[in-house]
Amino acid sequence: MQPRRDNPKPEPVWRSLEELYGDERLREVTEQEFPRFAELWPDGASRRQFLKVMGAGLAMMGLAACHPPREAEDIVPYVEMPENVVPGNPLHFASALRDRGFAMPIVAESHEGRPTKIEGNADHPLTRGGTTPQMQASILTLYDPDRSREVTHGGRLVNPLAFQSAMRQLGEASRKRGGRGLHILTEVVTSPTLARQIESFLSERPEAQWHVWEPRNRDNALRGAMQTFGRHLEPHYDISRARAVVCLDADLFGEGPAALRHVRDYALARREAFEKRDRPLPQVFAAEPTPTLTGAKAARRVAAGPREVERLAFALAGRLDLEVSAPREDLPRDQEALLRAASAALQAAGPQGLVVAGESQPPAIHALAHALNERLGAFGETVRFTEPIEAHPVDHGESLRVLAEALHAGEVDQLVILGANPVACGPADLELAAAIKKANVSIHHGLFLDETARLCDWHIPATHELEEWSDVRAADGTASIIQPLIAPLWGALSAHELLRWLSSPPLDQQATSALDLVRETWAEAAGEGDFRTFWRTSLHDGYIRGSEAPSIQPPRIDRRALRELAPPRPDAASLTLLFRPDPSLGDGRWANNAWLQELPKPFTKLTWGNAALISPHLALQMGIKDGDEILIRAGDGEITQPVFTLPGQAAHCVTLWTGHGRQAAGRVAEDIGWAVEPLRTAADWHALAGVTLRRTQKHIELATTQNHFLMEDRHLVRSVSAEHPSAHISHGVHGGNLLPKMLTDDPDSYQWAMTIDLEACVGCNACVVACQAENNIPTVGRREVLRGREMHWIRIDRYWKGDESNPKMYFQPVPCMHCEKAPCEIVCPVAATTHSYEGLNEMTYNRCVGTRYCSNNCPYKVRRFNFLDYTGGAAPSEQLQRNPSVTVRMRGVMEKCTYCVQRINRARNDAQMDGRRIRDGELKTACQASCPAEAITFGDLHTEGSAVRRQKESPRNYGILEHLNTQPRTTYLAVVDADEGGSKH
Amino acid sequence: MSQIFHPKHDGMLRAVFLAVPVGLAGVAALLYFWNQPDHIREVGKAHVQPVPFSHQHHVSGLGIDCRYCHTSVEESPFAGIPPTHTCMSCHSQIWADSEMLEPVRASYFENRPIAWKRVHDLPDFVQFKHNVHVNAGVSCIECHGEVSEMPLVWQEERLSMGWCLDCHREPGGRVGPERYVVPKNLTVRLEEGPDAERETWKSIGDYPVATVAAEFENYELINRIHSDDAESTDGRLFQLTNCSICHY
Repeated sequence: MQPRRDNPKPEPVWRSLEELYGDERLREVTEQEFPRFAELWPDGASRRQFLKVMGAGLAMMGLAACHPPREAEDIVPYVEMPENVVPGNPLHFASALRDRGFAMPIVAESHEGRPTKIEGNADHPLTRGGTTPQMQASILTLYDPDRSREVTHGGRLVNPLAFQSAMRQLGEASRKRGGRGLHILTEVVTSPTLARQIESFLSERPEAQWHVWEPRNRDNALRGAMQTFGRHLEPHYDISRARAVVCLDADLFGEGPAALRHVRDYALARREAFEKRDRPLPQVFAAEPTPTLTGAKAARRVAAGPREVERLAFALAGRLDLEVSAPREDLPRDQEALLRAASAALQAAGPQGLVVAGESQPPAIHALAHALNERLGAFGETVRFTEPIEAHPVDHGESLRVLAEALHAGEVDQLVILGANPVACGPADLELAAAIKKANVSIHHGLFLDETARLCDWHIPATHELEEWSDVRAADGTASIIQPLIAPLWGALSAHELLRWLSSPPLDQQATSALDLVRETWAEAAGEGDFRTFWRTSLHDGYIRGSEAPSIQPPRIDRRALRELAPPRPDAASLTLLFRPDPSLGDGRWANNAWLQELPKPFTKLTWGNAALISPHLALQMGIKDGDEILIRAGDGEITQPVFTLPGQAAHCVTLWTGHGRQAAGRVAEDIGWAVEPLRTAADWHALAGVTLRRTQKHIELATTQNHFLMEDRHLVRSVSAEHPSAHISHGVHGGNLLPKMLTDDPDSYQWAMTIDLEACVGCNACVVACQAENNIPTVGRREVLRGREMHWIRIDRYWKGDESNPKMYFQPVPCMHCEKAPCEIVCPVAATTHSYEGLNEMTYNRCVGTRYCSNNCPYKVRRFNFLDYTGGAAPSEQLQRNPSVTVRMRGVMEKCTYCVQRINRARNDAQMDGRRIRDGELKTACQASCPAEAITFGDLHTEGSAVRRQKESPRNYGILEHLNTQPRTTYLAVVDADEGGSKH
Repeated sequence: MSQIFHPKHDGMLRAVFLAVPVGLAGVAALLYFWNQPDHIREVGKAHVQPVPFSHQHHVSGLGIDCRYCHTSVEESPFAGIPPTHTCMSCHSQIWADSEMLEPVRASYFENRPIAWKRVHDLPDFVQFKHNVHVNAGVSCIECHGEVSEMPLVWQEERLSMGWCLDCHREPGGRVGPERYVVPKNLTVRLEEGPDAERETWKSIGDYPVATVAAEFENYELINRIHSDDAESTDGRLFQLTNCSICHY
């Protein structure tokens, strides 16, 4: 693949390098009438054979209708009706999930005791209703049939009584030895109850040790804080007040427990600034080696290797009059430009400026960032500090190393692992697999019989958050009570219960449940007041009021210490590996979740597997193309990976995603992806320099969706600016309707419509998974994705603009447009897709005969066809997740976004029964509810002053492919470009 | 060379000419009737239930309101099948030793639900909502027939799509005050006024029934939408036949 620079347009917008370079193969695929049959179409079939097959098909069609009368179905009522349950109406419970130990507040929907859908908790002071794809997909993990089901000892089943007495004996033994040789390994613990339990457990065993290990840890931030303040302080960023944010390889919008809040603050601040025009737009400046969600939203971004980012940080400190040793060498031109713009913006913003260092940056850069923020006066303004939220804030890398040493030395008598999976996700050089076997007794508590569990003597299945009583703190310290929505599906125990048995309780305390333990914790915290009210309010709200961590005044920074820091020397052309958590699977804990495996990742649009991300520059240099396998060698270790060329990747950096190629994740993850963990060592946890790449002869087809459903270059993504605020393009077609009017004059009717704000959208994918959960959308697997048959009703198109070494990036979610003049409707021979009175483009599954004419005629390519029976193979437990208000589709049926018509109908019926209209904002589609940036607005065009109507009146409003006179009900709000004149491409 | 066809073959040929169309018509008729919703859905066939519960006895005989057991019919898409507790609230006192009720007692004391056989089974791609229909004033009888006269429940109507559409196209006569959400023979006409109704209810059974009048607050609106004299082009009437009203 060679760049062909004959494209006449100055700044082309493109979806993939193939498109930019005008690759012949892409053109071939696009021109095909049925790309989804590309590899299936039997070219050799003769006319005679064709007629034979068709004839047989026709003859047998009638047989499909013949079946004996069905057995009558059972209806099984309750014996005792539970309180508040109205069969047929869902209940909603506020609770929280854990992500890296921190609370992700949720409201879970439950149908007759069966949780089916997770929404964000709009009342929560931190997240305000946003969700992540992982939160949405967590419901599938609850029902995962591969979750471990039984307590095992040495691979054999153990009955509960034997288990309890064994745990008590172990606890008794460790107490007698004063805890010598007892090591507990947990993930990040923010649960006050669990922390209280562990502390009391350890107080009786003073010599025992508590280790913490989380692969996506924040060690560098901790070390940076120690270096700066002499103690561990936790920074919290307030983006809503920021006018200029400089991200030094920090992914504010995609990583970390407060990302949801950052996304929301940034989106709302930008929108408000643009609409009111009374202040400059807040801007982000990003220097990063590999594209992140933050980089995509940045006003200016530069692709720079990790060492270059460090040098940039020193140079920035120099510009802002901090006495540091500035880098001697000149910066490359693009970095210099970024530096100039960023330092000017920071100086102008003053206390409303903010500098953030990413976790993969060394502690020195974190220290610099703190000093810069202090210099700007940002402390107390855009950044505040609290005591650490973690209950046991230690250096994770160090903590795990100490454990590994003790294990290797044979000093460990009892090893208790709560949740962590260090064998699969820990540093390879600690050789934990061998070490764990040296422990006298090892106990593993987790959701899956994973790599670590398989090496331990005991395995105890853990409860999912939706099955247990617990508590947890969010990134800002706000505590939530975790309440169960369903009894443990497979005899699992929560960590609280396991610890209770291990602490060898006296007889009268053996019945203490996790609920009792949590209530005890909060009975102390609730203090004087009425505990019953406190408890009920906290459960109802989903968080405990006033439990946010108080801000503390950080000590003054000793700037003299900064002088001792020195920027790294530029490392010439040596290649650097970057280890990054997979955007969907994280450290691999979500590997067995099919929704997340099939979720196209934000930039590469890869599904089902990973790849080594290389820059277009490196691809050209090595002469390799996407899918070619490379051998990566570093020290003694070597791994193989297919490559993927990623625009915007720093030239000499190769990004590897962790969490793939796991050995014991479950059936979904089997043979998916290539592990990178063998190269990951404690010392080079985030980046590894000086590696060599060699091309092997193998080629692996990558299941990326970036070229699926192409609409091609037709002014799809538009941007505006303060000077040119209108996104409208005149196509020279009639503005008015050429066709007779539909029955839309009735002012009392609802007319549904949607807008999607491209300025707010950060491409996080939460809407895609939310839609999948709400609408019973099946996953299809890697092979079917390769054929272009993924079923997502909403896809996020990612566009690049400009030079491929550092292009601008745009995200565009594309659901069904619900065209008023829908091209799909007029071609359906059986009227299976029709127009409703409220302007919905309806899809009636039971009418559909599968001609796929509609899909062919849809210019937006939003229709999805069940080529095979994708839903039939679901395990019984997975069927419990299904939304009972949405039909499960069978093979041979077309489907697409319905604007969540089940929610519309429910809202309409509720309103009708109350004798009123549906209120604006009462009804939210699944995608809208999931969005942390409030990018999606949905509502009625006939309601005076409705949010969607206001959005449609914005000059930023435009429809895609409007010139076809489809009159889409879904429209977009253009991106706001701060430093350009606005463009319509 | 002798003749291949004998004169008697003429008759056989004529018989074949007659038999082929008659046979084809017969097969077609068989298939047609076999596939009628009445046949497929076993209209009129009483289902054998684990307990031979008689609606006739409980409703006509004792005057129990439908909603005493089907509690969620007004507030949920699903009318609700009573929990065993509901049965036992009476049958722990009366007929407490009856052999016929043994499964009910077993269910209650062993905490094991009774698996009733579903009589009215719509296809899974249809989303029917009891609450909307009942609140619009569609009487139970309209779809379920006179359950109060059924010893064991059978399906009275075809419940085919055409049958649903009959009403969705022209709901005029089927909703409104004159038809009511309780069996016909117990129905009190609304014209008599809410007070009179309550009196009648009291005489039927002494348990409190939700005030009848409150349910009819929306009546004017519903009548406006659904009345016969509304133009057939009335948008909202048209909306009632939109696919996504039932299929999604």
